[in-house]
Amino acid sequence: MIGASISRWTMSYFAMALAWLFLALALMVAGVGYPVAEIASPDTLVLVHAVCIGWLSLAMCGALFQFVPVLVAKPLFSERWALPALVLLTAGLVSLLAGFLSLGGRLPPVLWLLPLGAILLVAGFGLVVVDLGLTAWLRPTGPARFVLAGLASLCATVAFGAVFAFVLAGWAGSAGDAFLAAGIPLHAISGLGGWLTLTAMGVSYRLLSMFMLSPDVDDRQSRITLGAGALAIGVTVAGGILAIGVASGLSVVLSIAAVFGLVSAALYGRDIAGIFRNRKRRQLELNMRMATLSFASLAATALLGIVLVAAEAFAAHIGPFAFLAVFGWLSGLVLTKLYKIVAFLTWLETYGPVMGRAPTPRVQDLVAEGRATKWFVIYYVAVWAGTLMLLAGELHIFRAAAVAMTVGVVGIVREVIRIRRLADVAGPVRLPGGAVAPHLLFARN
Amino acid sequence: MTEDLVGFIRDALRVVIDPELGENVVDLGFIYDISVTDGAVLITMTATTPGCPATSFLKEGAQAAASTVPGLVSADVTMTFEPPWTPDLIAPGVRASLGFAAIN
Repeated sequence: MIGASISRWTMSYFAMALAWLFLALALMVAGVGYPVAEIASPDTLVLVHAVCIGWLSLAMCGALFQFVPVLVAKPLFSERWALPALVLLTAGLVSLLAGFLSLGGRLPPVLWLLPLGAILLVAGFGLVVVDLGLTAWLRPTGPARFVLAGLASLCATVAFGAVFAFVLAGWAGSAGDAFLAAGIPLHAISGLGGWLTLTAMGVSYRLLSMFMLSPDVDDRQSRITLGAGALAIGVTVAGGILAIGVASGLSVVLSIAAVFGLVSAALYGRDIAGIFRNRKRRQLELNMRMATLSFASLAATALLGIVLVAAEAFAAHIGPFAFLAVFGWLSGLVLTKLYKIVAFLTWLETYGPVMGRAPTPRVQDLVAEGRATKWFVIYYVAVWAGTLMLLAGELHIFRAAAVAMTVGVVGIVREVIRIRRLADVAGPVRLPGGAVAPHLLFARN
Repeated sequence: MTEDLVGFIRDALRVVIDPELGENVVDLGFIYDISVTDGAVLITMTATTPGCPATSFLKEGAQAAASTVPGLVSADVTMTFEPPWTPDLIAPGVRASLGFAAIN
């Protein structure tokens, strides 16, 4: 078969991811976790893992189940693994968060929930990694290489996290305590930088080229971008473990990794600018226009990191730095691409089977970009304002920014639901003979 | 007679659109060849991206549309990516309406 089919569970992953995003936003509005609480507090661990596993990782997994087969023009290794993986990941995250709440005294002391959560998450991510890895391995060129590097980083992230969970439960002895005390940056960098960022980069190369009809980035060029990013993660993981082993401190390792990371981000910026410059479709759709705000947020994150390091204030302001990376760069990109992917998949699911038999609308007929624009703008402006408020230590105004972020996300999700319900498609072509309206939460194929 | 039939098939294929570009596969230049032999048509066509999940729907849609043309005994569609499709193949009037770059 040339091409790929529609992933049955991608919508389910997106729906679950958005539910976790709303939980995280609610926590921020309510003042639970950072910045009201310490960055290493159990409440903050709840918030961070709801965002990074529940929201970003589930959304990324859902997108990859649909998109990796597109990258390699081969079917997914096993479509049947996607739903069990979602169940395992959800159960694992619930258990992990309950463990954190237990650790913070908000629940009775049942710390075995932490290792249980870790085991379930290892099983869930294991299914994802094997399924996507075996699919991407068939044709590991260009963007697929980024996905493979991202999946390798995911393995490292999950391994670190699992060890930490056992340590926090008191099951890993004094060596484990030492590893937990020093190793959290390695877990965070391999997760945010390796798994989420390298994968988002790879997916964006292909999505942007495909939707703007731009030539693919030269393979050698993108390989250097990936090489720098992979070196940053490799140095972090391998060098970090070695440094902890010999108790030498992480500053040298993290400095080298930061240089490689900045080089990779700069090269990625060059590659993306090239895709935009060489596009054959001059008019940009909403998802592309808004994605540029994510790229700007990535550049701003890199700049903020440089400024903070130069001012010797990085450790004190790691919160706003991570906030901008997570919500400006990663979450912004996921929301913009989710808006596009849902419309495209909904079109395929509804109108693909009747093509040639009846007139059909265009993908653009499923969306109302004019109405959706304001929600994205509200979201990005709120994220940038929130970052500034964190830097300024204005915690009450930060919570107002979190409210505005929530308003933006509610608006975007409403638009996505309208797409799924075909609510903006003109009457005569909305459901031609033989077409079946899609289910909100999964594909019918 | 065969030329008329090819014209009818080409017209019938205009109901099949590329969902992303929103234009029909004929004006987009996706149809590389239409050959009719003894009432059997073989259509050779392409799409923008080999891995796109729309590819199979485009192929099946073209087959369904061609099958509606009276006088044909069968319709088959072959999907190829050689040579790769480029926007140069779009009909000039459609290219302008899509907001494509004049050069590139």
